[in-house]
Amino acid sequence: MNKLNVAVVFGSRSTEHDVSIITGVSSIIKPLELSGDYNVIAVYISKDGSWYSDDKLKDLSNYSGGHFQEFLNKIKPVTLSLNSGLKLVRPGLTNKTIDIDVVFPATHGTHGEDGELMAICEMAGVAYVGCDVRSSAIAMDKVVAKDVAMSNSIDTAKFVYFSKHDFNQDSKGALNKIEKELRLPVFVKPAHLGSSIGITRVTKTEDVVNAVEVALHYDDKVLIEEAVNNLVEVTLPIIGNEELKPAYLEQPVLHSEDFFDFDTKYLQGGKKGKNKGSSGSQGYSTIPAKLPKALYDKAEATGLAVYRAIGCSGIARVDMLIDTKTEKVYFNEVNPLPGGLYSHNWNKAGINNIELVSRLVDLAVERFTEKKSLETVFKTNYLSQFK
Amino acid sequence: MIKALLGIYRPKFLVTIAYMLQSSEYDVLKYLKWFWTTQNFNKVSNRGSLKKTSSAKALLYALYAGSLILIISGLLCIFLWHSNKLYAGWTFGLALIVGYPIIIGNIVVVPLILGRLLLVNPNNNKKILRSEKIFKDYRGEKIAIVGSYGKTSMKELLMTILGENKNVAATPGNKNVAISHANFAFKLTGDEDILIIEYGEGQPRDVELFSRITHPTRAIITGLAPAHLDKYKTLQAAGDDIFSVANFVDPEKIYVNAESEETENFMRPKFNKYSKSGVNGWTVSNIKTSISGTTFKISKGKTSLDLSTSLIGEHHIGGLVLATSLALEFGLSEEQVIAGVARTTPYEHRMQPYELNGAWVIDDTYNGNIEGMRVGCDLLKSLSAKRKIYVTPGLVDQGKETKLIHEKLGSYIAGSDADIVVLMKNSVTEYIKNGLLKGGYKKKISIETDPLKFYRNLSHFIASGDVVMMQNDWPDQYK
Repeated sequence: MNKLNVAVVFGSRSTEHDVSIITGVSSIIKPLELSGDYNVIAVYISKDGSWYSDDKLKDLSNYSGGHFQEFLNKIKPVTLSLNSGLKLVRPGLTNKTIDIDVVFPATHGTHGEDGELMAICEMAGVAYVGCDVRSSAIAMDKVVAKDVAMSNSIDTAKFVYFSKHDFNQDSKGALNKIEKELRLPVFVKPAHLGSSIGITRVTKTEDVVNAVEVALHYDDKVLIEEAVNNLVEVTLPIIGNEELKPAYLEQPVLHSEDFFDFDTKYLQGGKKGKNKGSSGSQGYSTIPAKLPKALYDKAEATGLAVYRAIGCSGIARVDMLIDTKTEKVYFNEVNPLPGGLYSHNWNKAGINNIELVSRLVDLAVERFTEKKSLETVFKTNYLSQFK
Repeated sequence: MIKALLGIYRPKFLVTIAYMLQSSEYDVLKYLKWFWTTQNFNKVSNRGSLKKTSSAKALLYALYAGSLILIISGLLCIFLWHSNKLYAGWTFGLALIVGYPIIIGNIVVVPLILGRLLLVNPNNNKKILRSEKIFKDYRGEKIAIVGSYGKTSMKELLMTILGENKNVAATPGNKNVAISHANFAFKLTGDEDILIIEYGEGQPRDVELFSRITHPTRAIITGLAPAHLDKYKTLQAAGDDIFSVANFVDPEKIYVNAESEETENFMRPKFNKYSKSGVNGWTVSNIKTSISGTTFKISKGKTSLDLSTSLIGEHHIGGLVLATSLALEFGLSEEQVIAGVARTTPYEHRMQPYELNGAWVIDDTYNGNIEGMRVGCDLLKSLSAKRKIYVTPGLVDQGKETKLIHEKLGSYIAGSDADIVVLMKNSVTEYIKNGLLKGGYKKKISIETDPLKFYRNLSHFIASGDVVMMQNDWPDQYK
């Protein structure tokens, strides 16, 4: 049997460009190659949006040295052909074409995780791993995701939001709205970014403007939401299309005044503040979360409900906030491409890295096969009237 | 192919030669065999690299100098031919220049042989003879640890348990040949209560020589299995040498591991047998073993002791009971013995468990004999796990028995309940596979062509609930 050509796409024009390289190379390419079941093609999108493909892009050490840009200058960018499937075209004396069977997106944030890359795959008619265009787009807009959740009777923390334009036009009105509808402390977040970039926890009214400006520096839409009391933050990685499999609820180990920001997640190995978790493989979380069974089950059910409501498929991670006194579970946000696929959590749940990526490729092929069976052409006589 | 051939002209080639000599422990025959069976010198140092010791550095400088002399000599020959002073000088000169890596790779053994014959051996012999007097004059207990396997573990058990109350000195690490014994003797202060001397047999009459020099008062024979058969040729010859220690020790002070089946043919009436059933009147009961350790009870008359250790596997119990029994005989209290046993922990790369991605990996990569492999397979079978994975490249230096022993290993693995068997592709893989199939193994067999890649990426293959047993590891010189 021929091996599938799996293109792992990472990097891209995103604030999470560097994190994406780690996810792509370490968490996806490595186990896919070790499985021996696929021809793995590394596809890197640079910060300026050029696409490259080369075997050397599979080695993480090539990115950290000072010669990466020189290397990119040497290899020519590839072009994409969307005719009858997705093809990578390597320029040269004779163009070399590589047929792609499955795309494995590893692009976090904008121009990738937000549905744009999935749209290219849809247009080309190629199978791809993870959430589809619609669910990715919904998930990447925290406001829309909350609206979808609320319309499915899933609780979320109280929130307001503004576009950059609205805020610039009437910042006083915006502040009044925040003051009127929310009580401090609040979290101010860019609506479309992941990896906790640009998020500020605000405890004083006079700090709100500054926090909104920080968020609007990264995004054109800002979300302000009320902090949950007696908070326990949990996250639930899930895989599946129709039949869902949750990993463990994971609980970041944080001080009450801390939150899970970019530094905590990626730079300090989760060792922010005085608490140093040790149970999670990255050292910042407890897996499974230490919650009473009923509350654990409730949170897991909420996570699965969110996954379905937003229409996720393949893989996603649902973040939730729990008020341990009232035992209320609030949906916080959904991440359609969890950093590193959250493989540390899947490992705890008994799924190794190779099984995880292989299962995700299988799910992509399964969804693609089902979709192909749908009729997309409808014969009409509509054009005949223009004879 | 061309890259492989041209590899001998890379500057790194000389480092490779030094590495090969160092890895062969400067054994000329082993080195030459490795040298002449190597097809690509670019790929020799996969598992290790040259340790820059002073002798390695000196060797490397000598190799650089020798290469330079050969090239200059070649150029000189061509020059002389050109000046009509040397007939066919260009042929000879060109041969020297082109062939210098092969020439240097071979003539390097000449100074090694001469150095060993003229300097090292006479010097060592003098030291060994001097040490004999030290050992002979020593009045305390001298316990010899002899056997094809399990020696280091036994030594460590005794050190830990007897060390609770006695001043114990033991030969360090794997320094277990005559010159190491001599160096050990020179470092003794005279305050030691007990000496523990490990005998690292490698060829016929080794044990006899060690016994003559060290004058043991007791001997523990940890087991007999095919090892070093390239030198011993037969298991009988290995057994004869190992049991020759009995010619130097009171037979009532010889302790033989009865769990090692092959020792049976060498038993004498007055020898003491030890096993997980007990020794010296001590009986063992209530054995419980798991990945976190082992607990058991020993009883003799009205005395009984509950013992626990973090060592995993029932195969440790025999050694623990023997060490306990000796400790009590040497005057340690019951409390001291209990504390000593509790302090025994797994040794590096010997049934050493560690957690990875929520899975348990048992690192037994220093295990190099069939009996130890059997014990590992039994342990894997006894542990509960969602998925069991067994990993091995097989055994080295099994001589004519290679095929038979690896088929036996295959049958042991077949009985280990492993869900996946990972074999490292080499000259014995097919034999293990045959043994697995003959043993009725029907689950997954995975053959890895790049062992290092597999070991480095082990974390990608495993998850919570898995138990991985890794037994033995082949250095670069074995293929």
